[in-house]
Amino acid sequence: MYYDMHVHSAFSEGESKLEEIASRAKLLGFKGICFAEYFKNNEQMKTLKQNIENVAKKEKIKIFLGFEARSEKELRKLVKIRREYDVLLVRGYDLDLNRIAVETPEVDILTHPELGRKDSGFNHIMAKEAAKNNVAIEVNFRNILLSNKGTRALILQNIERNLKLCRKFKTPIIICSGAISHWQLKDPKVLISMGVLLGLEINEAKLSLSKIPEKIISQIEERKSEKWIMPGVKEV
Amino acid sequence: MKLKSLPSTLKEKLRYVSFQIISEEPIEYSDLESAVWNTMLDFLGERGVAKTLVWLLKDRWDGNTQSGIIRCNNKSVAEIIASLGLIDRLGDNRITFKILKVSGTIRGAVK
Repeated sequence: MYYDMHVHSAFSEGESKLEEIASRAKLLGFKGICFAEYFKNNEQMKTLKQNIENVAKKEKIKIFLGFEARSEKELRKLVKIRREYDVLLVRGYDLDLNRIAVETPEVDILTHPELGRKDSGFNHIMAKEAAKNNVAIEVNFRNILLSNKGTRALILQNIERNLKLCRKFKTPIIICSGAISHWQLKDPKVLISMGVLLGLEINEAKLSLSKIPEKIISQIEERKSEKWIMPGVKEV
Repeated sequence: MKLKSLPSTLKEKLRYVSFQIISEEPIEYSDLESAVWNTMLDFLGERGVAKTLVWLLKDRWDGNTQSGIIRCNNKSVAEIIASLGLIDRLGDNRITFKILKVSGTIRGAVK
């Protein structure tokens, strides 16, 4: 019952086709995956939706459409059309953007807040806000995989620090492969083990690949109902 | 003179992790062995590797199914599996590890 909620296909920065990624994810034992693409226009979104539907039927795996915002402007745009796609991710690296992401209830996942930074890009205030707005903080395996020596040590150190804060303030944690190719997709046990090495309990690591994504998925279904108005508000 | 074996209470508690390799082209055992050692030494360090009691079982490598077994102690399973996940290439050949089973015996890991 594991999900990988951050995979890029050839539609954005990825190298592999949707079919290749979906079949590899199924082989590795994932129940579902989320393609996190960069939003261009409504036409692209329609094409993506159609392709995802076809691949999901063919490979018999749950596939979700997500968009990853890379700037505040892009985030605002994506929040406006929030009902039209499944998952909203924000690409963490900039302190201001990280802060805005955790304060926006429409956001599901803040990806790698420590990316390209010397500090961890995340603090106790952001952890509290993320817990309040139900924004999951991502541990991105690709950043660890593609770095080495000192850089990898720094990334591990920053992630560990962020996870400590998340545990203290009960902020949801999600572990994703962040793959840009089907060769970078990892076995769920590998992701769980990395979570354990970074300071999570084994149960917490398992939840970050199962229950937390399931919660995001249940919100997708809620959002699709006509009674939904905005996060936390619906017609009774 | 043969060394007398330790009583079971003093023996290390071992775990056997069976895995399968998904790759572009079939891989050789020697390539896999060097990749596993190099990655683990890089990621865990010499002291870290020493603590894990890691050993890749040569006689359990099956070239046809591209599957094998790696041994470690019961406290280092996460370290070993995470390190295997960090191997994504053998030369130009791209690979992914699929973890099949973790067991306390070789027989259990093979089943």
